[in-house]
Amino acid sequence: MALRAFLFLLLAAFASFGAAPAHAQIVRTQNAETELLSARAAAAPGETVTLVLRQKKREGWHTYWINPGDSGEPPRLTWTLPAGYEAGALLYPAPRIERLGPITTYVHDDETLYPIALKIPEDARAGADAAISLKATWLICAEICVPEEGAFRLSLPIRAEGRDDARGARLADEAIAALPQSVTTLGFDFKAGDRISIGFPRADAPPNPLSEAITGVNLRNPQYFPYSQALIDHAGEQTVTRRDGQILIDMPLSLSFIKNEAKGEGLLVAEINEGGRWTKRAFMFGNPPDTTLLPTAVARAWAGEAPLASAPRDVQRSAGFVDFLGYILAAFVGGLILNIMPCVFPVLSIKALSLAGGAHAGTARRHGLLFLAGVMATFMALAAVLLALRAAGSAAGWGFQLQEPALIGALALLFFAIGLNLIGAFDIGGSLQNVGGGLAEKGGDVGAFATGALAVVAATPCTAPFMAGALGWAATAPPVASLAVFAGLGLGFAAPFTLLAFAPGLQKLLPKPGAWMDKAKQFLAFPMFAAAVWLVWVLSVQTGAMGTLALLAVFVAFAFAVWAWRLGFVWRVIAGLVLIGVLAGAWTPMTTVVSAADAGAPTKSASLDGEVWSPERVAELRAAGAPVFVNFTAAWCVSCKFNEGAALSRPGLRKFFAERGVIYLKGDWTARDDVIARELAAHGRSGVPLYLYYAPGAAEPVILPQILTEDIVRNAITAAGTPPQGESL
Amino acid sequence: MNNARRNFVIAVGAGVAVLGGAFAMLRSPAAEAAVQNGAAAPGFSVVDSAGRTRTLDEFNGKTVVLEWTNHDCPYVKKHYATGNMQALQREATAAGVTWLTVISSAPGKQGHVSGAAADQLTTSRSAAPSAVLLDESGAVGRLYAARTTPHMYVIGPDRKLVYQGGIDDRNSSDHATVQGARNYVREALAAVRAGRAPETASAPPYGCSIKYAG
Repeated sequence: MALRAFLFLLLAAFASFGAAPAHAQIVRTQNAETELLSARAAAAPGETVTLVLRQKKREGWHTYWINPGDSGEPPRLTWTLPAGYEAGALLYPAPRIERLGPITTYVHDDETLYPIALKIPEDARAGADAAISLKATWLICAEICVPEEGAFRLSLPIRAEGRDDARGARLADEAIAALPQSVTTLGFDFKAGDRISIGFPRADAPPNPLSEAITGVNLRNPQYFPYSQALIDHAGEQTVTRRDGQILIDMPLSLSFIKNEAKGEGLLVAEINEGGRWTKRAFMFGNPPDTTLLPTAVARAWAGEAPLASAPRDVQRSAGFVDFLGYILAAFVGGLILNIMPCVFPVLSIKALSLAGGAHAGTARRHGLLFLAGVMATFMALAAVLLALRAAGSAAGWGFQLQEPALIGALALLFFAIGLNLIGAFDIGGSLQNVGGGLAEKGGDVGAFATGALAVVAATPCTAPFMAGALGWAATAPPVASLAVFAGLGLGFAAPFTLLAFAPGLQKLLPKPGAWMDKAKQFLAFPMFAAAVWLVWVLSVQTGAMGTLALLAVFVAFAFAVWAWRLGFVWRVIAGLVLIGVLAGAWTPMTTVVSAADAGAPTKSASLDGEVWSPERVAELRAAGAPVFVNFTAAWCVSCKFNEGAALSRPGLRKFFAERGVIYLKGDWTARDDVIARELAAHGRSGVPLYLYYAPGAAEPVILPQILTEDIVRNAITAAGTPPQGESL
Repeated sequence: MNNARRNFVIAVGAGVAVLGGAFAMLRSPAAEAAVQNGAAAPGFSVVDSAGRTRTLDEFNGKTVVLEWTNHDCPYVKKHYATGNMQALQREATAAGVTWLTVISSAPGKQGHVSGAAADQLTTSRSAAPSAVLLDESGAVGRLYAARTTPHMYVIGPDRKLVYQGGIDDRNSSDHATVQGARNYVREALAAVRAGRAPETASAPPYGCSIKYAG
């Protein structure tokens, strides 16, 4: 029984929830939870892999920076690696100052992510698994101190082609983004006499925007952290002055100061005024000691070749069991709501009509369950493909299947065919029972199952409220939990029709069958045609005019085949050949994704309809203090189009944006785009739409709801803040 | 913003920063300023584990070692569990050096002990200090700017501070690191005996922070 099988699956999901993936081995000590992760699920010979040591400390407890200050000790690592492998130093985010009486220390609280480089030798054998073993010791203190330690093992597959581990890569990105920004190239002046004096940037450094931002009036509460423990008196006052575009910090000497060994490399942590808000930022001048082997992104950034990624956003972390149940519930409700979304409603109405025929109760029940099975099987298949893509390191999300032009074409053809069938152009099997789907001709049972599958496929362009958060969470959750969330969605989606099939009382509420049913059936052909037209448009965005032409040619050939079918064997053969010929000719133009410029797609044009989104553009605009509104959309996303029509494209809102200098950026996810997928994931989403508003100077963007009106957008922007009007700074 | 206005803002900003700095220096607490090497070790008066008042003046003309301790600190444990600290205490006192173990933990905080418990610790650990000083108020610790346990000071017979800092060069609570460490206190005591300045007069102290009151 499908229902029983499903319940079993759900139970199994609950039972095994919490079983961690094989590589994520968490060491729980008295005061911390620590794990070693790899950004790569498999590494290629010669590559430098980023490992992450993640440590979540008990509340009120801290560990120490590379220079612990007056007391304490930084974490220490001892590696056991296969021959030829090499591990780099632990890299630290900027610390916080902890003062306890006369004692000043440099510490990390809460959760700390340390990136570490691991170099795979060129001659590593592809196909084998590298055994990476680490013994780490750390001193953890609240008021009292406890030395703790953990042993970590990673079995890292070495393959000809490396690939990312979704969670590891995310945490590695986050860890690297949290490192101080290198300003080593600007240089610094260092004087050590009776006191220590640091001048930043170097007095003769050429002028540049960064040093201006750092040394201008846009900076407050600068604090210097030397890498060396024996340089300054940590508890001593740091006296800050500004002179000739330089920040000068003057500090008393450490008692352990040794003149000839003194070096001033370290961090400058300060609050920077970014468009009206003060944000804490860390700058690093001079690399920390023993950091010759670095993660590739860090090495490039520290060499001055590329900026580090923007600061990490608040993404979901480990969620408790209650969260998990909450997400399943949200998915269930989202699934219920999906039933009335425009993508699905026509398909389900047709199916509901089949019950109005007063079907035999047993048959109705069987069909209800088969429909449920079809829905669940399709959701599970989608989830499985998503998980597989994720495991392969690909950033896929909800609606990913609609990024494949071939699938769009097939769906468009399917809707067209259903439309033709409904309107009576062809008739297979004959009974109303079977009109639910193109595969339904095999009879009622197969038809019920096929309707479930079809409804899910048709539903994918729509995102219902409640769904986005649940699916976003599922995208980063352990596989079993992901499946459970998808199962919740499927159950909610299938519930209304399945219940209807089981409740003769409800069926009686349906109108009595009669001649009207034929009209209703024919009428429903038009939403189907509309859906097909819309899909043709989606394909046109992906593949341009040639792809559209090819698909429409296939439509004609299909219609011809439908007509020819009644005329006997010879005509059938001719029609079959024509269809095959047209399909063969259409395949290449229909499946070749063309670039935005070639396609001339309206959604990608940078003129009236907003600028093209990129992380760099956002960073640039934010650095300039401009408010930024970002719309992540896709041509196949019905909710997105609805919101654009109802709010974002309205002249009133455009005027509102223009008055407040809000820059409107659009990220188009119609075709696959890993940068956008990662950005969605960073905000806990796995699909579009996603609307972000970055108020000037705010560290984090505001996330707007899934369904927009002009007022919702206006209120969100007003609440988050815009720059003062009528004044230019 | 035009240039003149901008320069004005910068000038005002710089002025505020300079004034702020000067003010900060004025009120910087002198009481916690560290004792410089070569300067006279400040005198103190504090009770020992037997309840008697002890002063630094009692030991005029003698070499004095100050050892800050907290028996529950993992770094202190390293030196006692391995016998390292006791060996150094015996070696020093046998050579006529006065060894004062100081406990600056405030009441209720880690490492704070009664006189009887302090004596019990001395017995159970076979320690050999000349006296254990109970500095609950933290006055002596703050006078010397003691920061960690252990934190070591060597005072010459002329009352001048000869050495201050870590007991050795191994910032670790791992007991294995005692072996092969460079013991700065032993070096400083040898230098005093030889009538010269030690090669290293100061090294970063390491260990747990002292659990001061407040």
